[in-house]
Amino acid sequence: MSSSQEKPQLIVDGKRLDGRAFEELRPISIKTNVIRNAAGSAYIEWGTNKILAAVYGPTEALPKHTADPERAVIKCRYMMAPFSSLEDHGRTGPNRRAIEISKVTKEVFENVVLLENFPGTEINIYVEVLQSDGGTRAAGVTAAAVAMASSGIPMSDVPFGVSIGKIGDTLVVDLNKIEDNYSDADMPMVIGPKQGNLLLLQMDGNLTKEEVTSAISLAKKAGEVISKLQSDALKEPYLKTLEKYKNEAPSQQGNKE
Amino acid sequence: MKNTTSYEYIKELLSKGSREDGRKSNDFRKYTIEKGTMPNAEGSATVNLGYTRVIAGVKVVLGSPMKDRPNEGNMAMSAELLPLASPDFETGPPSPEAIELARVVDRGIRAANIIDLPKLFIEEEKVWDVYTDLYVLNFDGNLFDACTLAATTAILSARMPKYENEQVIREGNLGKLPLTGNMVTSCTFGSVAGNMILDMNANEESFASARLTIANDENVVRAMQKGLEGSFTEKEVADMLEVTFEKSKELRKSINNSIGE
Amino acid sequence: MQRIVIPGEKLEDKSLRIEGTIIENGKTYSTLMSSYDDEKKILIPLEGLWYPISGDTIIGRIQEDKFNVYIVDLQAPYRGLIFSKDSNEEFVAGDIIEATVKEMDKTKTVILGRPRRLTGGKLLYVKPSKIPRILGRGNNMIKQLTAKTGTRVTVGMNGIIWIKDGKVDLTTEAINMIQEEAHTNGLTNRVMSLLEMGV
Repeated sequence: MSSSQEKPQLIVDGKRLDGRAFEELRPISIKTNVIRNAAGSAYIEWGTNKILAAVYGPTEALPKHTADPERAVIKCRYMMAPFSSLEDHGRTGPNRRAIEISKVTKEVFENVVLLENFPGTEINIYVEVLQSDGGTRAAGVTAAAVAMASSGIPMSDVPFGVSIGKIGDTLVVDLNKIEDNYSDADMPMVIGPKQGNLLLLQMDGNLTKEEVTSAISLAKKAGEVISKLQSDALKEPYLKTLEKYKNEAPSQQGNKE
Repeated sequence: MKNTTSYEYIKELLSKGSREDGRKSNDFRKYTIEKGTMPNAEGSATVNLGYTRVIAGVKVVLGSPMKDRPNEGNMAMSAELLPLASPDFETGPPSPEAIELARVVDRGIRAANIIDLPKLFIEEEKVWDVYTDLYVLNFDGNLFDACTLAATTAILSARMPKYENEQVIREGNLGKLPLTGNMVTSCTFGSVAGNMILDMNANEESFASARLTIANDENVVRAMQKGLEGSFTEKEVADMLEVTFEKSKELRKSINNSIGE
Repeated sequence: MQRIVIPGEKLEDKSLRIEGTIIENGKTYSTLMSSYDDEKKILIPLEGLWYPISGDTIIGRIQEDKFNVYIVDLQAPYRGLIFSKDSNEEFVAGDIIEATVKEMDKTKTVILGRPRRLTGGKLLYVKPSKIPRILGRGNNMIKQLTAKTGTRVTVGMNGIIWIKDGKVDLTTEAINMIQEEAHTNGLTNRVMSLLEMGV
């Protein structure tokens, strides 16, 4: 941010700076099959965040000492492009923040991917943030989950991510960059929608016990919208062709000719 | 196992003057150039060349001049072969391939003096640095030409931050990055089974014995780079130059169309 | 009624043991992008990886020629292995081969037999989950395809298809159509009319 200045007014007349209500998500759009070389891929635009996620594998785990004879191992790289922010040129290569996010993202997928189906292999997840405006880890996991599901690797659930923040005494959904910089708390979460379990949970700032509980239920509520978008993006290519040919009779394979 | 086609098949097609995707030897694949795809960057462009997709992002930041050029700004170029773009790209520090790619694209743009570097001088010991990052998002061959198109377009359409009261201002009413009006594009050829072909896809590249990139503007050649272990004859180089000057007219037109000038 | 489901989506409120599902708290959920028929209780995966079964035909590339075995890249989570004694031909790294799965051993290595070199031609990569549709019932789809295009085609269950001679491009187009529209009605008819037009 531009130097030290005092905190900007983040809520004016009951609305946030970008005009959103407290529990309102930014506009989100998700598209699958965007990287031809990958086993699965997804592109997400979340507000002005633009993020690509791709999944490769399972392939033989290399180097060999990283392999687990009982199950697949997941490797994850989350990165921010050096041109992704409105501020200065970012550094190239992973910094400590990116390494931590890669780790917690990896752990999300260790939970939902049926790893025991592919012993001795590795599955690679890549999350590349091309443009950032706050909440990139939640958006990145959301996209990576879609990429994973579209790859045909079996999963028990398609998790979503969202961040809940606190501005003054108000809990708000989905902090953008400027809110993130000046908020009183930020709590990014990833949740498996099937049982509502928390797969990623981080927090900094100040929250009461009650606020933590409320933040989780806000995240679940927002997740209904996000999960629907993920599901729609995954189904869209199949529904499109199904719809196109719905009036045709089922193929009579193996008849005359 | 990246080859979708065997060497024999490509060779057979080439002997009939044809290629896998139906192109002739000196045809580019279909390409699109879109500027401003990453608006947080001062300049950006996404290029699709066949299934190859790259993004160039330009950031203009405060820096200090080189000792031997105290009154000029600087430019720098780097390339990332993102592991998400191909199963053959690995995580880790930039590979020699990525470094070669960035340096070849850099040389063309630098030699053609596209950026007006003296105008990037602010005050003593303070200049603007122009960083261009090339991001490869999907790999299907010919990164040199795709990246040159993306970098040139991103630079030509970049905005210029302001420096006021010792503050960098990146939003609001901004001018354009100072330019000289020049432009550069490149054409990359490969020698596959004794045939010279333009704009190789990844399959063809995997069978190429030699590669030549020629970057040029309207009048002169601005940069060249030969790659791989094979060689070219003088006649082959002359032929490739001929094709390059012809093909570059269309490339320059496409860039101009995409930046709307 | 056929519906498209995503991983984690509930199929049944009761426990139903079918391939591609998991059961949690007595309820059945899909683990793959699938098409599910609620009445017939049939789950057809739309995406999925190849699980080798003895007798599967595969296409692969010789990766390494070791002392008495060849290592084969199958573009799959498992690698292939041919014992030199099981081969009538000698191979070098890079050769494209067709072979048959003998068994999968404890280390998830696929033991292959009856290898045969495939020279020339084009390799096409498809999703393994689409292979049954490409072959058709009783291999009928692929038989008609090769008859109409005059191509020689070998279909690897691991998602690699080898095409040689005849109308290679038309064959590729038809296979891509089957791949993209595998879950739709009237596919066979559309493939046949594509082939008629192309002929």
